[in-house]
Amino acid sequence: MTICEKLRNSSVTECAAIKLCQSNWSLAAMKFRAKMLDVLYMREFQAIAATLAKLAKDCVMIVAQERMHFIVNEEHCSTSSPLVWVSIASKDYFPEYQMTPARPEQEFIVLVMSAMHLSRSLAVLRSGSSSSVHSCKLNLKQIQFPCISVIASVVSPNSSEPREVVHDVPVTVIPASDWASFMLPKVPNTQIVLGVPSLRLLRSLIDKLKNISPSLIFHGSTAGELNLVAESEMATITTRFSRLLLHKPDQGQSGAGAETSEPEISCSVDTRKASAFFNALQLPNEEIMIGIDSERCICLQLDIRSNVVLHSILPAVCV
Amino acid sequence: MQHSKVLYEKGIIKNRKMLTQSQYENYNLVCRLEHIKTLYSSIKAICFSDFGTLQASEDGLLITVEQGKSIQATLFIAPAFFAEFKVDGSPSFSVKMNVLAECLSLFGLSDCSIKILYKGEGAPLLLLLEPHDDDQVSTECSIKTTNVEEPMEYDLDANSSSLNTIFMRGPDLSNIFHELDKAADEFEFTISPLKPHFKITTLGVMQAESSVEVAKSSDMVILFNCRATTVARYKSQQIKLTNKAMQVASKVAIKTDASGLLEMHFMMQCDDQEEMYVRFFITPLLEVDGN
Repeated sequence: MTICEKLRNSSVTECAAIKLCQSNWSLAAMKFRAKMLDVLYMREFQAIAATLAKLAKDCVMIVAQERMHFIVNEEHCSTSSPLVWVSIASKDYFPEYQMTPARPEQEFIVLVMSAMHLSRSLAVLRSGSSSSVHSCKLNLKQIQFPCISVIASVVSPNSSEPREVVHDVPVTVIPASDWASFMLPKVPNTQIVLGVPSLRLLRSLIDKLKNISPSLIFHGSTAGELNLVAESEMATITTRFSRLLLHKPDQGQSGAGAETSEPEISCSVDTRKASAFFNALQLPNEEIMIGIDSERCICLQLDIRSNVVLHSILPAVCV
Repeated sequence: MQHSKVLYEKGIIKNRKMLTQSQYENYNLVCRLEHIKTLYSSIKAICFSDFGTLQASEDGLLITVEQGKSIQATLFIAPAFFAEFKVDGSPSFSVKMNVLAECLSLFGLSDCSIKILYKGEGAPLLLLLEPHDDDQVSTECSIKTTNVEEPMEYDLDANSSSLNTIFMRGPDLSNIFHELDKAADEFEFTISPLKPHFKITTLGVMQAESSVEVAKSSDMVILFNCRATTVARYKSQQIKLTNKAMQVASKVAIKTDASGLLEMHFMMQCDDQEEMYVRFFITPLLEVDGN
């Protein structure tokens, strides 16, 4: 990578697994290209990809006219990562954004790719003082296999001319017939949503609690309090976050009459799963919204900015 | 235990034993520290066994950890170190060291103040943590205590004619140990009034030997007080248990006498805070002149 970067206008092809194109889609009709120009947005986009890469091997990318979504699924086997998805308002990040689905009546382009490859291809956007990035283009194209070509235009301090760093990330195009299993999750109804401003403390706390107890109770109240309880044979640890901002549950979703009846709601979740989520976060945000659906799930929401939102669901466990 | 009790009444916390026992009116032990950092690194430095014994008295708080009958570490915190220190009688109990260390590090690198509370036999040890940079967050930890196992008593005879004492700068001694042969089986400490003054020899499995000598005139040595030559060997694994303490210590005292019992004092000090001490006793290996 570093050697290649030195070559001006060099092109790096990263293809760990050559995925052959699948049956009933035509790349000729399907088009996607997007371009980022703002340094801050490029860094954020890189941070999002890095977060996804920490959570799972593969991620789903859903490209629509107005929005771009990434989903990483819960992995049931060895690791304990939760379901996480990110929705990005395309206009915010990409001044140039064009997508044409395979067929005019379709709304989306659905791709599956390695989260690690995507993250690595964007790593150059993170670079601080050493070089500056002018722009970053994403481009769906067909070489021997379908791929997203990530083209970053970089200027080194000792050269006035930009060079292009190109990564081709292999993707699998999901045909419309299979979309049902790749659709965006819905934010569950929660009885209470609290904004916790100390994400850094929360992260280190949950990381330690996973060594104490396998399950962790989130207990929230409409008085703006959140208690985290970890219990084991050897110790009971109760942490209270007080004076939190109470975000009213969305009226539209909860429907008429489903007004918060109980002032206190609790739910216990897998501590390792919660810790996996918090440890994966690579974003600088300090506030996270924690929604609690009584004994069903914890719903986490990180507003990266107003139109760029990261969600996660931690399912309840029985204690 | 304000909020834990409330949560117990609501059925969120299930383990009643972890709440303070209502049969006790008052706390036997109440102490408060404004900064947790030194305490945490000191506890981490002696975390080599499952259980540790806490003993409190008018003279301060002692936390003792032992492994087998051959190594003992004691963290000593004087009452002056605490912002508040109240003790009633001389409470003592055992706790799991790694649970204690985990609880102290709940907030990671953020500095917290801590209040340590204990009511009496059968009651849990309570730690109340409050990070300085966020006053909306507070944690209550209650850690199960078990009956105390009296720690062994080791002592060097202060009047012994062979008592040798060296005070050294912590970082320098730490560097010396860092450079010693890591694969060595045994360490031999020689302290003598004549050259080489202070010598550490490592003895490896394959008869490999290496040694470091520190002259008493060295800048590393703060005080060198030696009357008779002492030579003793120790298990390297046991010496290595002092590593964490050595890494953070500002000063180290090494004491031994003809019996070979090694006493090391580590002065733990962070910034401008009061210091606390960690003391290790390590018993020597038997035959010195066997081979």
